[in-house]
Amino acid sequence: MDERSEQFLGLSGLLTGFGRLQLLGTGMADTYLQAVDAVVSPATLDDLLAVYEHLPTGAGRDDAVAAGILGDARLGPVARSLILLWYCGSWTQLPDAWRATYGTSSLDTNRVVSAEAYQAGLQWVAAGAHPAGAAQQGYGAWATAPGTGAR
Amino acid sequence: MSTDEQYDVVIVGAGIAGAILSKQLTRAGFRVLVLEAGPATARSFDGYLGHLEHFYAAAKKGPESAWPPAPNAPQPDTGDIRNNDGYFVQKGPDKYGSSYTRSQGGSTLHWLGVSLRMLPEDFRVRSLYGVGRDWPLGYDDLEPYYRKAEREIGVAADVTEQAYLGVTFPEGYDFPMRRIPPSYSDQVLAAAVDGMAVTLGGGEVALKVRNYPAARNSIPRGDYVPVGAADVPAAGEPVERYIGQRCAGNTACTPICPIQAKYNAGKTLAQADRRHLRVIAQAVASKIHVDAASGMVRSIEYQRYEDAGSPRHTVHQATARRYVLAAHAVENAKLMLASGLGGSSGQLGKNLMDHPTLYAWGLSPVPVGPYRGPLSTAGIEDLRGGRFRAAHAAFRFDIGNDGWRAPTGAPDSAVTAAVMQQNLFGTQLLDHLTSTLSRHVRFSVAVEQLPNPANGVSIDPSYRDPLGNPRPLISYKIDDYTLAGMAAATGVYREVFRRARITDCTNPDEGGWFPSVTYEGETYHYHGMGHFAGTHLMGEDSGQSVVDRDQRSWEHPNLYLVGSGSFPTMGTSNPTLTLAALTIRTAERLVAELAGGTTRAAGA
Repeated sequence: MDERSEQFLGLSGLLTGFGRLQLLGTGMADTYLQAVDAVVSPATLDDLLAVYEHLPTGAGRDDAVAAGILGDARLGPVARSLILLWYCGSWTQLPDAWRATYGTSSLDTNRVVSAEAYQAGLQWVAAGAHPAGAAQQGYGAWATAPGTGAR
Repeated sequence: MSTDEQYDVVIVGAGIAGAILSKQLTRAGFRVLVLEAGPATARSFDGYLGHLEHFYAAAKKGPESAWPPAPNAPQPDTGDIRNNDGYFVQKGPDKYGSSYTRSQGGSTLHWLGVSLRMLPEDFRVRSLYGVGRDWPLGYDDLEPYYRKAEREIGVAADVTEQAYLGVTFPEGYDFPMRRIPPSYSDQVLAAAVDGMAVTLGGGEVALKVRNYPAARNSIPRGDYVPVGAADVPAAGEPVERYIGQRCAGNTACTPICPIQAKYNAGKTLAQADRRHLRVIAQAVASKIHVDAASGMVRSIEYQRYEDAGSPRHTVHQATARRYVLAAHAVENAKLMLASGLGGSSGQLGKNLMDHPTLYAWGLSPVPVGPYRGPLSTAGIEDLRGGRFRAAHAAFRFDIGNDGWRAPTGAPDSAVTAAVMQQNLFGTQLLDHLTSTLSRHVRFSVAVEQLPNPANGVSIDPSYRDPLGNPRPLISYKIDDYTLAGMAAATGVYREVFRRARITDCTNPDEGGWFPSVTYEGETYHYHGMGHFAGTHLMGEDSGQSVVDRDQRSWEHPNLYLVGSGSFPTMGTSNPTLTLAALTIRTAERLVAELAGGTTRAAGA
């Protein structure tokens, strides 16, 4: 895996709370990387990855994410749409103010990325469940106590 | 214009009623032509999977999301209600909240599968409570047909749990399959709620979380063989698919069961005797031609379109010894009205009913494991009957296994709120979602509605679809009887939530948009249950009803109007099982009549 993809996975793990293997296990990492590149341009994503690479480690790391990524006018909305992409398998249109300032893309619409992306949504894992209509758990599984979720 | 060959019976509509009639009539050796207005894309297994893919990729995953409309056979969509810009022309004053599907298989393609019998008292609400109408049939008349219907559609339940409020079963009977296992959420709720008493209409009622009979495959009893996915190719014999013989918990009964463990009408149609059956899809019945002197139907005119995207079509006449409208409560009435057959009773198209339904949602104190299993497996049924019905509507609770999906769009909406509003990310976000999504509880509280002649279907030449057929105009008002039922039901759900220590999170402003009504200062947001009924109701008296107890038109002796449109009242039962029972009864009479070669006088 190339360095940029590794950075994208690292950033995605930091933002979603899921580990590298869980993200890889969705099979969607490449698709999402390409999707973000296509919507906001590779240059914008490069800037987001660069901030991620230079985040401090240790106690100040979360504050740095909040300030340097989520709090950033240009990178914050992109990061939030990226979180939703991983959790829901769908792209969430960037805010009007962002679009007015940084440009619009015909791909920047509220949409399910693909049938596969829907099924790979991490929200179902967080819920201790499965995507509705896919990855069936088997007869009677619903009668048992739920698992403990993602971790 | 061409005339097809002669059939014994022409049936309009390939939904559950048309499928049951087709199976029974062809197996008795009668030649049947079925005209289906919509496409037959769900008939083959591959075609069905195409609808599943459509659902996966749909941005909004509502009840219609797997079943896109055919332009030439348009259908209502709940997404059109808010702006009144869909197939229905809603005349108000209230919005009718339900939809149906015009496609081979009909609305069973996306029904939930709840298969409750009506209560014995539901057939006699006028006599017992002074409201609504009595049926010309009683529970005892229909009971044998309920059993046949439960076998036909494959109902899973345990008799020991279903004999309540007067519902009886013959000695030794049990459902074809064991009950669907109650969800973990049902079990948690039952532990907290069972036995709690509520007061309604001056009487005290003990509540119980009860598994409901469901048309979903479970463990069979006796010689019953669960029927899995149907696969009827365009040419050749049906293919046996070893899939769907057990519910696997896909949590998507509505809009689409991926494995067809839930019943759909395609299964019954696949069991018809193909030597005597012809089904023409993309064939819209547009006019019923009647002999003016005798009232007998001479033919049904239909428009056949090859290309689903183009209104180009050819016009044909179908002729037979008997004619059956099994197109849906609204479509049956629309076709009669479009043919100038409004009738002298003044009841055709009138008395449209539904179960206006309230959502209630909350957070359980402990994880209940939602977003798993059939969309629901249990309800609270104890308030479906009782003396309070003299004063207000009865109601039933459906206990969801799908968290807040239906009212709020969760889990997507919950993730969005956490990220966009609470600005959560990383492990905090994941922990927040894990601890909240797992505690989501949802009730649907379905409220009875009585027949009211002011509620109904009409047509107006200025509203037409692409083939020139009229679009239904819907007049609809939720009256005080139902509103008072909503108020009582709201009180009960709040008591149940308190008892189970569920934090009430019901907030229509944070949920999806739903129509609303106001009663005694309270606003109630409601949705439809897809339970259309009453548009050609049956009765003892030709002056007060459209069809007789056999669902035969009083005025056109060789014409039957079948389905939930024949219901004089609906109680609190989801209508499909009862309409299946009525249809089996009608099919048996039709078979006897055709074999005898005579047309009985209506009502005889």
